Amino acid sequence: MIFGYLDPGSGSLILQAVIGGLAGLGIAIKAFRAKHGMGRSKVDPDLGEDSAVEDTTLSAES
Amino acid sequence: MKSPDPGSFRDPASQVVLDDDKVLRLLDQRGLEGWRALSASDFFEPAVADARLIGAVEVDPPPGTVAALEHPRLPFISYPYEWTFSMLKDAALLQLDILKAALLSGLTMKDATPYNIQFVEGRPIFIDIGSFEAYRAGEPWIGYRQFTRQFLFPLMLRAWVGVPFQPWLRGDLEGLTPAQMAHLLGRKKRFNTGALFHVRLQARMEARMSGRAVRENLRTAGFTPELILANVRKLRSLVSSLEWENTDDGWSDYGSCSHVGRDRATKSEFLQSALERFRPGRVLDLGANDGHFSTIAAASRAHAIAVDSDEAVLDDLYRRSAGLNLAVVLTDLVNPSPAQGWAGKERSAVIDRARPDLVIAYGVIHHLTYGASIPPREVVAWLRSFHCPVVVEFVAPGDEMVARLIGNKLPHELHGDREEHQFRALLDHLFETTDERQLSSTRVLFALAPR
Repeated sequence: MIFGYLDPGSGSLILQAVIGGLAGLGIAIKAFRAKHGMGRSKVDPDLGEDSAVEDTTLSAES
Repeated sequence: MKSPDPGSFRDPASQVVLDDDKVLRLLDQRGLEGWRALSASDFFEPAVADARLIGAVEVDPPPGTVAALEHPRLPFISYPYEWTFSMLKDAALLQLDILKAALLSGLTMKDATPYNIQFVEGRPIFIDIGSFEAYRAGEPWIGYRQFTRQFLFPLMLRAWVGVPFQPWLRGDLEGLTPAQMAHLLGRKKRFNTGALFHVRLQARMEARMSGRAVRENLRTAGFTPELILANVRKLRSLVSSLEWENTDDGWSDYGSCSHVGRDRATKSEFLQSALERFRPGRVLDLGANDGHFSTIAAASRAHAIAVDSDEAVLDDLYRRSAGLNLAVVLTDLVNPSPAQGWAGKERSAVIDRARPDLVIAYGVIHHLTYGASIPPREVVAWLRSFHCPVVVEFVAPGDEMVARLIGNKLPHELHGDREEHQFRALLDHLFETTDERQLSSTRVLFALAPR
């Protein structure tokens, strides 16, 4: 992953999806849940976040 | 001789170096990839041709550098805390337009700071070629938070709260935080969606999510550039809606004062003759007000720097300055913007940036001596510190404007050396008078060359 020299602020990054509209809201919730391990199935916090995303049933269309 | 620009060190991929009259940008491998993506895009050439984006040509890189670009040198660099409301607003709109055009060409931008924008002939121009890089699928807009902190919130502060943004931007170079802006707004704009999302919700989310890495989660969740474009569209409409009630802070009706019209023709002619005698490349107009004399200097092929502390008159001057070789600088001569930032050098003092060949000090020194209580001796020494010729207007104690400036001060509370013969003696120590003109019974013009 390429990091910029600027701290973009995590909340501000997710907020962009929220501002983007309904589709973005779904993406924001998905990313937020992945971050917090709040998918419907239990996710080991030590495992990669990708597993949590896959377990999250909310999608951009929901 | 090469010297790194003290304001260009944060981005390791792209650093600006000043080499005599040249401005070079040194790129590492990642910076070179960004430049290749930008220069190959269909966005680059039209933006340069339209003077929205600074030009750049590849030149031989110095040893140890992957690649180097050369930019045209700008006549004057100003900072956002020296801009008027309309300048910051125009700069914000340019930043959004450039980002939109970049995204549509498959590029994105690493940051969104007003320090990447300058003003040339009354129009904003984007100068940081190093900001661009190829868009990577799923990436959000990294500069969004910075955009709100350094463009949007300062404009909101002026438009919605009625407080000038310049002291805040000068005090904190990173701008206002979402939490600060939320406090400043208080219960104002409760039903405004821009305030709700960009200020209040951003403040809440920042508090909740600080320190967590989410870029990869957003990518996996399906983030698209269309979401950035939607945000940019909404921000553009929000910024466009922000207006400042350009109220009179005291001097915007200055042109209508009785002495001004009477003296203006003589002062213009006196300045014209100084411009012909000294042929300056750069003219610093102290207390420029409506820019009448700066405009005369600019017409003489000099680059004029119009400095004043009154935002209303300068905002008006800026909006009239398209096509003029004139920089508008909002700063208080009694407290001009200092050198500051990292190591005290990142942003330089406005006086050091001016480098004038001629100084105009019309209608200003009595404001310093009577209004700000600066001793006349100090004022003359300060004029000498520019190391160049000066045209100055002396105003004697009996003048109507002096009475207004003295206000409630008692005679013993004023500095000495206020009479004309005393002022002449102060000048004689440091300057040679090359020309003088009696303007009225209380006003005299002097053209001075440093001794």
